[in-house]
Amino acid sequence: MKTQEAINTFVKETGGWVAAQLEACTRCGMCAEACHFYQATGNPEYAPVWKLELLRRAYEQRFTISGKARLALGIDKPITDADLTHWSTLLYEACTLCNKCSMVCPMGIDIGPLLHNVRSALSEAEVVPLELMAAVNKQVTEGSPLGVTDSVWDDRMEWVADEWEVELPIDVKGADMLVVFSSIEIMKFPENISAIAKILNKAGEKWTLSRQGREVVNFGFYEGSEKRTKLFMQRVFDAAKALGVKRVLVTECGHAYDALRWTAANIMDVPAGLEVIHIAGLIGDYVRSGRIKLKPGAYDNDGTITFHDACKIQRRGGHIKEPREVLNILAPHAFKEMTPNKEEAICCGGGGGVIAIKAADPQRYAVFQLKIDQMKKVGAKTVAMTCSNCRLQFTDSVKHFNVDVKIAGLSQMVADALED
Amino acid sequence: MDWNAILEFARGTFFQVALLVFVAGMVYRLARILLLGWKPNRVTAKGSRLGGVGMSFLKGAIIWPFIPWVKNTASRNPVIYIAGGIFHFGLFTVILLGTAHMLVWKSLLGFGWPTLPLPIVDWLSAIAIAAMIGLFINRLINPVLKLISGPAEWLNLLIVFLPMVTGYIMTHHLFFRYEVLFSLHMLAVDVLLIWIPLSRISHFMFYFFSKAIHGAEFGKRAVTP
Repeated sequence: MKTQEAINTFVKETGGWVAAQLEACTRCGMCAEACHFYQATGNPEYAPVWKLELLRRAYEQRFTISGKARLALGIDKPITDADLTHWSTLLYEACTLCNKCSMVCPMGIDIGPLLHNVRSALSEAEVVPLELMAAVNKQVTEGSPLGVTDSVWDDRMEWVADEWEVELPIDVKGADMLVVFSSIEIMKFPENISAIAKILNKAGEKWTLSRQGREVVNFGFYEGSEKRTKLFMQRVFDAAKALGVKRVLVTECGHAYDALRWTAANIMDVPAGLEVIHIAGLIGDYVRSGRIKLKPGAYDNDGTITFHDACKIQRRGGHIKEPREVLNILAPHAFKEMTPNKEEAICCGGGGGVIAIKAADPQRYAVFQLKIDQMKKVGAKTVAMTCSNCRLQFTDSVKHFNVDVKIAGLSQMVADALED
Repeated sequence: MDWNAILEFARGTFFQVALLVFVAGMVYRLARILLLGWKPNRVTAKGSRLGGVGMSFLKGAIIWPFIPWVKNTASRNPVIYIAGGIFHFGLFTVILLGTAHMLVWKSLLGFGWPTLPLPIVDWLSAIAIAAMIGLFINRLINPVLKLISGPAEWLNLLIVFLPMVTGYIMTHHLFFRYEVLFSLHMLAVDVLLIWIPLSRISHFMFYFFSKAIHGAEFGKRAVTP
């Protein structure tokens, strides 16, 4: 194991903004109660502050006098192989990096990005859970964590175009917008592809898909590896450059949006003038500007509809208003909010790569019970969302618990309610 | 034992040394953070970073339990929320608005201000001490706090507790002679001043960093922090 590399990564990542936040922590433990994994299981090790323990130790033992003294006196322990293995289970199997914890921290520490730093160190030490790492490697070699190779992609797109009779422009030079789907959509929710295509076509958008940049998911970002995060984003940016588009549209994928929209510019060169947008925001823009018209009340007669906020698209993405505006047109009477919601929403429990790891199943399902409670309280018959990863977690967990709730992607609902 | 000499030392030389350690220590802590390097943020903002920072501090200041965003946090962490709140409020009111303390400030700063009547200050001290005991018991029994508490956390509680308790006993003239209690109070304060830059009690300074970072990050994304 490369324990020293992990420590080096901790040290490398500890800029002033990280150190200032670590110093601000009063160890009050309030973040525990914000973590859905702690709420659902009561395991004190799931407290976000405890998940940061290694980062704190590395920082203090390298940079602070008291940290060095405590290490010398044996009060604080050095970081060992066993620590890294143990924290790997905490960081990958019981954390979705949803950043809810930062909403309750009385010091306002932005804990989520710090947890991402811990993952980075664990990835350098090569203690990433095997299933997650297998998916990362698959994305490196085949271009997709779910095995969507070039030929699978071609077949799949042809099939979608036939099945739903929708036009899918591929590699169109001079288009305005590059649309990149996630493997989850391609393999598990192909109707999302036709839905988004219908919306874009209806709005008269000049868009294209790309064979080179065909995967928006970024398993390197889950893993925390900066190198592979960049590699996967580079593929998308290269495609955007080659096709000369002005905008990249991230479809219903949360982590990818966080990486491409909010992280890329800080770790690599983003082609000048290229804008990264999300389908949830784009639908909002189309509706506001009248480029698409929706049938008012189209879903008002199918029971209560609620909306699940995805951590990376709403709390960390900023698209909180748009889905609600849309739902208030589509189902002005049937749409009801869960509590807590918006930036305070409870995460689905499957994001951040958690759903890819079998060993995380018990806590992943335990967390989902919080969502079930929330949905039951509003009497939801349908729950809409803008993230396929959430949707995968919902679809799987609803089946696991045998709950009678319909899971819907917002794009799909919009596409089905387009006014002619 | 010559308690007058000890008192002289505790409120004279030792106090000045402690004050110097406190100031120098905090300056060192601040410099260390600033010199670690700050990466520029090159991401195009969707909302206002500055607006986010403002909102973050505003939310930090408005912490009444009936405010929607506080309600959930407060009800899930009632002990820390209530006891922590009362402790901070009580302690700082007494330090700033107790007559005896104001006179110390006056001797340091050169100007004074109106203070609260003694009975009010007295009650606030008592409540703050009680809150502190509540926080201590909570740290003893809460599984998360047990896990994350090392010697430093227990020392923090003790070192903050001693000046409060000696001060309270002193104003009530209990148990010991006045100069004994005064000496103990001043010694405890001196130890506290030296301990602050060595410990997480220094969070009052880093609070402004973390709150600002949090606000800027959320503001950038056009989300209410």
